[in-house]
Amino acid sequence: MEILTQVFTISLIAAILRTTAPILLVALGGAFTTKAGIFNIGLEGQMLMGAFFGVLGSMWTGSALGGLVFGVTASVLMAVIFSVFVVTLRANEVVVGLALNIMAGGLTISLTKAIFGVRGSIVNPAIVGMPRIHVPLIHDIRPLGQILSGYTPLVYTAFALVFLVWVILFRTRLGLYIRVTGEKPEAAQSLGIRTARMQHIASLICGVLAGAAGVHLSLGYIVMFAENMSSGRGFMAVAVLIFSGGDPVKVLLGCLLFGFADAASLRLQTMGVSSYLVLMVPFVVSVSALFLLSWRQRPKIIRETLQHLTAPVVAKGQGS
Amino acid sequence: MTDIPLARPERHVPVWAQGLIGQMLALLIALAGGAVIIWLVGESPLHVYEVLLRGALGSAENVAGSLLQATPIIVCGVAACVALRGGLFNIGVEGQLYVGGFAAAWVGFTLNLPAGLHVVVGLGAGMLAGALWIILPAIMRARFNANEVVSTILMNYVAVLLTSYLTIAVFKRPGGWSETAPIAQTAYLPQLMDGSRVNLGLIIGLALALGLYLFLRYTGAGYAVSTMGSNPKFAAYGGVRVKRNIVAVLLTSGAIGGLAGGIETLGVHRRFMEGFAPGFGFDGVIAALLANGNPLGVVVAALFFGALRKGSLLMEVETGASREIITVIQALIILCVSAQILIRRRGGISGEKRWKF
Repeated sequence: MEILTQVFTISLIAAILRTTAPILLVALGGAFTTKAGIFNIGLEGQMLMGAFFGVLGSMWTGSALGGLVFGVTASVLMAVIFSVFVVTLRANEVVVGLALNIMAGGLTISLTKAIFGVRGSIVNPAIVGMPRIHVPLIHDIRPLGQILSGYTPLVYTAFALVFLVWVILFRTRLGLYIRVTGEKPEAAQSLGIRTARMQHIASLICGVLAGAAGVHLSLGYIVMFAENMSSGRGFMAVAVLIFSGGDPVKVLLGCLLFGFADAASLRLQTMGVSSYLVLMVPFVVSVSALFLLSWRQRPKIIRETLQHLTAPVVAKGQGS
Repeated sequence: MTDIPLARPERHVPVWAQGLIGQMLALLIALAGGAVIIWLVGESPLHVYEVLLRGALGSAENVAGSLLQATPIIVCGVAACVALRGGLFNIGVEGQLYVGGFAAAWVGFTLNLPAGLHVVVGLGAGMLAGALWIILPAIMRARFNANEVVSTILMNYVAVLLTSYLTIAVFKRPGGWSETAPIAQTAYLPQLMDGSRVNLGLIIGLALALGLYLFLRYTGAGYAVSTMGSNPKFAAYGGVRVKRNIVAVLLTSGAIGGLAGGIETLGVHRRFMEGFAPGFGFDGVIAALLANGNPLGVVVAALFFGALRKGSLLMEVETGASREIITVIQALIILCVSAQILIRRRGGISGEKRWKF
C-alpha cells in the first residue's frame, strides 16, 4: 500500500513535469514580449503552426530535429508578421493576435487536407518523434530516475530556459533594453535605445520558443497532429504572463500550477470522471488564478491610478 | 461630362466614404492573399472563387442559406460591437452563444408554456445565461482591471465543454447522439418562409443593429459609451461612471451573445446539439472589427461572412479545398483592416494601444 501511494505521487510528479513543459516554453517566449510591452495574444497560433510544421518537417526530413527546425521557422514567420503589424504599422495587438490565431487554425486544417487528404488529424508512422533521454547514472536509481530521466530534450530545455531567460532579462544589456522599452518607452527612446527594434527582437525570440512549444506538442508529448491541438495552452500562457508580469520564476510557478491541473485532470479521467468536466479543469484554474491575482494586486492598481491622476493628462485630439 | 465633376478632390470625400474605400481595399488585398493560399493548396483560385459565389448566391435556395448562416453572425456581431464601442473586447461571444443556446433549449424542452410566451421565455433565458457567463470577467475588469480579453477567451473553452457535458451526461435524448431532446413546438421561433430555416432571428438581428446604431447616435447614454471607448479619461472627467458602464456594456454584450445562441437552438436546430454553432461567435467578433464598430456595417460584414460560409459548403464538395480556407480569408481581411485603419488615422476604436501590463 505504501509503495502504491509512492508510485502514485512519483508518476504524478513526472506527469506534471511533462504537461508543464509545453506551456512553460510558450510562456517563457511570451515573457520577452511582455517585458517589451507587447500584449501577445497570438501565442496560441504560433504554437499551432509550430506543431503542424513540426510534423511536416519531421516527415519530410525523416528526423525530429528537422521537424524542430521547420516548426520553429513557421512560428517565427508568424511572429515576424505579428511584430511588423503591431510594432511597425502600430496596429492593435489584440486584433492582430486574434487574426493570426484564426489564420493558424484555418491554415493548418486546409494544409492538412491539401497534403494528406484527410480532416482532423495526421497520424503517420513516417512522423519521427523526439527521442527520450535516459540520463546516465540517475536513470537506474528508482524514484529519482523516474522523476528526472526519460523525457524528450525539449522538457529539459524548458526548465533550463527558466534560468537562461532570467539571466538574459536581468543580467544582459539586451534584457535591460527590452525591459526599459516595455516599462518606460519614452525614457528608452531618449537614451537612444531603438524601442521598435527591441520589440521586434523580443517578438522573434518569442516566436522561437512558441514554435518549440508547438513542436513539443506534436513530436514530444504525443507523435501526431490534431486540428487545434494547442487547445488553449497559448491563452493559458497569456494568463500566466498577465499575473506574473513576465518574471521567469513566477512564470515557472504559474506554469507548474497548470501542469498540475493538467496532470491531475488526466488522473481524474482514469478514475471515471466525465472527460468534458476533466478538460475544463485547466481553464477554470487559469481563469480563477487570473481573477484572484488581479484582485490581490489591487493596491498596485490604485497606486498606479493615483500616479496617472497626478501626471499631466495628455489630450488625445482625434476621438471618433 | 462637364456639368458635374464626378471625382471630387480627396479631402472632400466624407469620413465614412473614406472608411468604406479603405475597407474595400482591405477586402481586395485579402481576397488576393486568399488566392495565393488557394493556389498553394493546389486549387485554381478563380475556380474556387466562382464556386464560392455560386454556392452563396447561385439560386434562391442558396441565398436563403446564406441568410440563415448570416443570422447568428449578425447577432454575435452586434454583441461584439456593443463591447467594442465601449472600448472593450468581448472575445467570449462564442461561449455566450453556447450557454445561451443551451439555456434556451432547456426552457424549450422542460417547461410547458403557451406558444409565443414560450419563445420569449426561451430567448430570455438565453440572454440571462449569456449575461451571467460574462458577469465575472465584467466585474473583475471594472473593479480590478483584470484583462477581459483573456478571461473571456478562457471562458469560451469552459462554456463549450460545460454544454457538451450537460448535453451528453445529463440531458441526452435516449437513443440520440450528443443532442438533447427536441424542444416543444410552442417554443419554435417562427420561420419567415417555406422551404428554408431562415427565421425571425434575422429580423431580430437587423432590429438590434438598427437599435444600437440609433442608441449610439442619438442618446446621451450612447454618447457616454462611445466616449468611454474612444477616450476613457475624458469620459471619466466628463462625469461618465466608467466602472459601472464597463459592467453594463459587457453584460449587454454577453446577453446579446446568449440571444444569438437562443435564436439558433429555437429557430434552426430545435434542440441543443454538441458543436451546434462552430465559430459563429468568432465570426461576429471579426464582423464587428471589419465594420470598425459601426452597427450597420456589422450587418453588411455579417451578410458577407454568412455568404462565404454558405459558399464554402459547395466549395468543399466541388473542389479539393477545405472550407476552412474562408477563415484564412477572414483573418487576412482583419489584418489588412487593422493595418489600414492605423495608416489612415492613428488611434481610434480598435486602433488605440491601450494594452499594457
